[in-house]
Amino acid sequence: MALQGRSSSTRARSERRNALLSGYRPLPGAYDELMAPDGAVRPQWEPFLAEWAALSGEELQRRFGLADRHVRDTGVSYRVHGDLESDPLAGERAWPLNHAPLVLTGQEWQVIAAGVAQRAKLLDAVLSDIYGPGKLVSEGALPAAAIAGSPDYLRPLHGTAGAGQLQIYAADLGRGPDGRWWVLSDRTQAPSGAGYALENRLAIGRAFPDLFRTMNVERLAAFFQGFRAGLVSRARRIEPRICLLTPGQLNESYFEQAYLARYLGFLLVEGGDLVMRDGLVHVRTIAGFKRADVIWRRIDGDFADPLELNAASALGVPGLVEAVRAENVVVANGLGSGVIEARTLMGFMPRLARAVLGEELILPNIATWWCGQPRERQVVLNRLDEMSIAPAFRAPGEGLDAGTVLVAELGAAEREALRARIAQRGLDFVGQEVVRLSTMPVMQGGRLEPRPMTLRVFAAATPDGWQVMPGGFCRVSDESDARAVTMRSGVRSSDVWVTSDQPVEQVTLLPSPDRIGIRRIVGILPSRAADNLFWLGRYLERSEATLRLVRALLGRLINADDQAPGHAETIRRLAHLLVAWGAAAAGGRGRSVAAQARSALHDLDQYGSAAASVREARRTASVIRERLSVDAWRLFGDLQRQLTAPGKMESEGEAFELADSALKSLAAFSGLSQENMVRGAGWRFLDIGRRIERGITTCRFARHFAETDAPGNCLDALLDLTDSQITYRSRYMLGPALQPVLDLVMLDPYNPRSVAFQIERLDAEIAALPSLSDDGMLEEPRRLALKLAAESRTAEAGRLDRAGILVLEQSLMGLSNAVAERYFLQNSRPEGSRMTRLA
Amino acid sequence: MIYDIRHLTAYAYSRPVPFARCMLRVLPRDGAGQRVLTSALSVTPRAAERRDGVCFFGNRTTTLTITRAHRELRIEMTSRVEVTRAAAPFPALTRDWEKVTELALAAQSLAPDSPAHYLYPSRLAPVMQEITDYTRRSFGARRPVFEAACELMGRIRKEFRYDPEATEVATPIGEAFSARHGVCQDFAHIMIAGLRGLGLPAAYVSGYLRTIPPPGQPRLEGADATHAWVMLWCGPETGWIGLDPTNDLIVADDHIVTATGRDYADVSPLDGVLVGPGSQRLDVKVDVVPVA
Repeated sequence: MALQGRSSSTRARSERRNALLSGYRPLPGAYDELMAPDGAVRPQWEPFLAEWAALSGEELQRRFGLADRHVRDTGVSYRVHGDLESDPLAGERAWPLNHAPLVLTGQEWQVIAAGVAQRAKLLDAVLSDIYGPGKLVSEGALPAAAIAGSPDYLRPLHGTAGAGQLQIYAADLGRGPDGRWWVLSDRTQAPSGAGYALENRLAIGRAFPDLFRTMNVERLAAFFQGFRAGLVSRARRIEPRICLLTPGQLNESYFEQAYLARYLGFLLVEGGDLVMRDGLVHVRTIAGFKRADVIWRRIDGDFADPLELNAASALGVPGLVEAVRAENVVVANGLGSGVIEARTLMGFMPRLARAVLGEELILPNIATWWCGQPRERQVVLNRLDEMSIAPAFRAPGEGLDAGTVLVAELGAAEREALRARIAQRGLDFVGQEVVRLSTMPVMQGGRLEPRPMTLRVFAAATPDGWQVMPGGFCRVSDESDARAVTMRSGVRSSDVWVTSDQPVEQVTLLPSPDRIGIRRIVGILPSRAADNLFWLGRYLERSEATLRLVRALLGRLINADDQAPGHAETIRRLAHLLVAWGAAAAGGRGRSVAAQARSALHDLDQYGSAAASVREARRTASVIRERLSVDAWRLFGDLQRQLTAPGKMESEGEAFELADSALKSLAAFSGLSQENMVRGAGWRFLDIGRRIERGITTCRFARHFAETDAPGNCLDALLDLTDSQITYRSRYMLGPALQPVLDLVMLDPYNPRSVAFQIERLDAEIAALPSLSDDGMLEEPRRLALKLAAESRTAEAGRLDRAGILVLEQSLMGLSNAVAERYFLQNSRPEGSRMTRLA
Repeated sequence: MIYDIRHLTAYAYSRPVPFARCMLRVLPRDGAGQRVLTSALSVTPRAAERRDGVCFFGNRTTTLTITRAHRELRIEMTSRVEVTRAAAPFPALTRDWEKVTELALAAQSLAPDSPAHYLYPSRLAPVMQEITDYTRRSFGARRPVFEAACELMGRIRKEFRYDPEATEVATPIGEAFSARHGVCQDFAHIMIAGLRGLGLPAAYVSGYLRTIPPPGQPRLEGADATHAWVMLWCGPETGWIGLDPTNDLIVADDHIVTATGRDYADVSPLDGVLVGPGSQRLDVKVDVVPVA
């Protein structure tokens, strides 16, 4: 089977190899990763080319498809800026993958790894001096003003242990025309991309499993193991609780963060999940405050504490700086670490390496002149036309790349304006040499073409020193302009293969067996996650109810020769319920019931439609993506695709089929959560949400279809809606009669769709949740659930009228509110900072 | 000169606030010709946690956590401060301003009073071309820096209208500049922005100004106000000099400093986070009484 899709003919292979390379010409003046200037393929790429040439075009496409599907299924995506207000998922895109990896030899990798580790060590030392003794400044190795202009230089952290300490560092590298690697920029604030690197590896690994073995590609897992060990070693407690602090789901790399939290076993939290009390940082969980020992932050340091840092931040934790100062919590990277990303510092690195390490830089950085110095400013003004000019410091809130211009591309007037600005306030600018990047292959129309690329390499501080990830996050431009400064949007990413002459050791993130203590209920549940799981349950159940209504309605429309009494009345009531739920607009003249049913399926503008409920469910799920399995996440994609309105008007039969198949997907999700989710608190909240919603919708169904004077056809519809037809028929020979139907749908504790059944489950789930009360009194959700259970157990169908059902329905809503008030983050969202004015 | 200062800040909330954490910067600081003889801060309701400290810029801070539900927050600061500042230099004898910009860039210190911190645009004092151009008219080539700054201060006093109704705390300085109106905070930010636009280090100061009642009339209780002005670094020999563009005054013994920083955000008397919906009303009373 391993040879599936491979051709045995040598001639066919060599033809395909030639076809792949037929358009491949290295760009003039740029180094090419695949091909030497004489057109010969570099040896480390040969096994890769051989493998691709061995596959038929069709098979190659199939492999690409496998990789792409992996990326889509795992939901690793990034966010592009779009209209997030109207659709929270608008900007989400699958990560575009270049199917060809970047292949590097172990030998040249050694230089890169040594250079990146050296730079990590250097930057870490410079940071600790900047926030500590300040000797580099006082001794003249670094001008104070080259630091003071950075918005990431956080003065309140001055003199604090670990203020700028690095746990993870990334360098963006480019390869110049002479084949040497250059550092283009440093990432110390909150480097992203390590998760994408891991993800690219899994995707390409799925497509070309054999290549990995034959080429002895270095594995990535050991790096993450080292990174985690580094974080653990800095905590005060032996088994520390490590949180990944995310800016939230609107951040462009949120999905990477969720992915890494899951992979590394960290708790994914937002600022609102954390609270500082008595100098300690805690996570708000359903079981009260739980101490956080280490925070791996993915928010900018300046945003981490509105009290002492940026007062406008809504992402941070008020009081965090105080806890850091008291050394009660470790924040990694140190809150002030971003300062060293400033471009001004690039120009000083060679000198700093000599002053701090007594070494020369192994990897040079891109030549940089800070125009805050008179001599350097003159150099830049003299050679302005051949330079790129960038802001010396990032503006607050802007990305690192913002504002860079290639002077050669400016018109004469713009050039003179720039010259004047540099002359007036040179300290705001750096001039940088324009670097020509190397190129690597991408597939374009069935053959390979060279495209410029940059390589992000990661280093982690581990208990054994700096460890460099053997691989990285490679970005490939879609355009062929090889100047570094043009690498912006329109990029794909590539896996990076560091090949070895010997087979590589397998490492996984699983701890060695002798160190694992047995544990059954793992982790804690933050209140925010509980909140989202609860609402996920409610939205899923709501979609299901709408779909059942639509199916019941369409089923009756299709069955046009049904002359049973009350047929038209039932249809009227079903349609009415859809309108009452906000799933469809009221029927006017010329608007058919069938159109209403279609709208209840697809119309995103109707908040109660199945499509809208599924969208809400997916939005809720995306906030807790690290808690859902890949299979579960994939089901949301399927559901959304199913419910997207078809181009043409579908027939009633087709719409019926669609509702039916969407219900199957929902059933699959229920199955997954029933069978695959650990019965921890997370599952409980999902289930509580579902049970409450199902209880409420069933009450509503019953109120609509089981009045005292309801025709038999309406009762029949109620049995349909509650999936209780078969049970009813097996118990009663006669057609539907009011009291037996009411009993089965409302009060029968053995019918899993009855209201009584939901109440029994709710009582059991809520009893199993942690209690904070220490005065012997019942907490409110528990009290309400017990009361409801007693009421439903003692109720009789003969006495249950509309008013009685409404009381049950309202009690369920009351229970929902009580659960929210007790367990979720309600009323704890902080208000913004208040300013007073000076006269 | 010795002053007794009383500064009362009271917030009234429309709904009870169950939790608040805030940082106060209301206690006056020592240094630069000023000595705090006594000072006290009382807060109601009583804070569950309270920590006094000194921020990077040397301002005194008090961090409070209030865990009791409250509808009013009262902060009362009382202090006795002695002010004896050295006389300002002769404007014409200070260094030329271009030299000062070079010296500031070459500073070899990150200490709080190093000019390096005060060279760059900040959120509330952004560098803007039109403000820089306005400033430049007083800064001819090689003109002594303090002389030029005094002229700039006088122009702001003359050409801008003091109007407490025209701007709010969050009004961007570009707006106040185009309309040529505002309050002390706007004038200070505008002057800072202009000086920084030329590459000169300028700082923001909050504090009080002694008010002298019209002849024959008694001083009205609580009628004084908090105030804001500018400090300019004039080179290593001269150091920092205070300039009050609202009153066209070189800062001497009538000004009492509470806090200094890059702009208002560094010295804001109260930064805070509180939990709970509802609106709030703010009441401030200030008395500055000379005692000797």
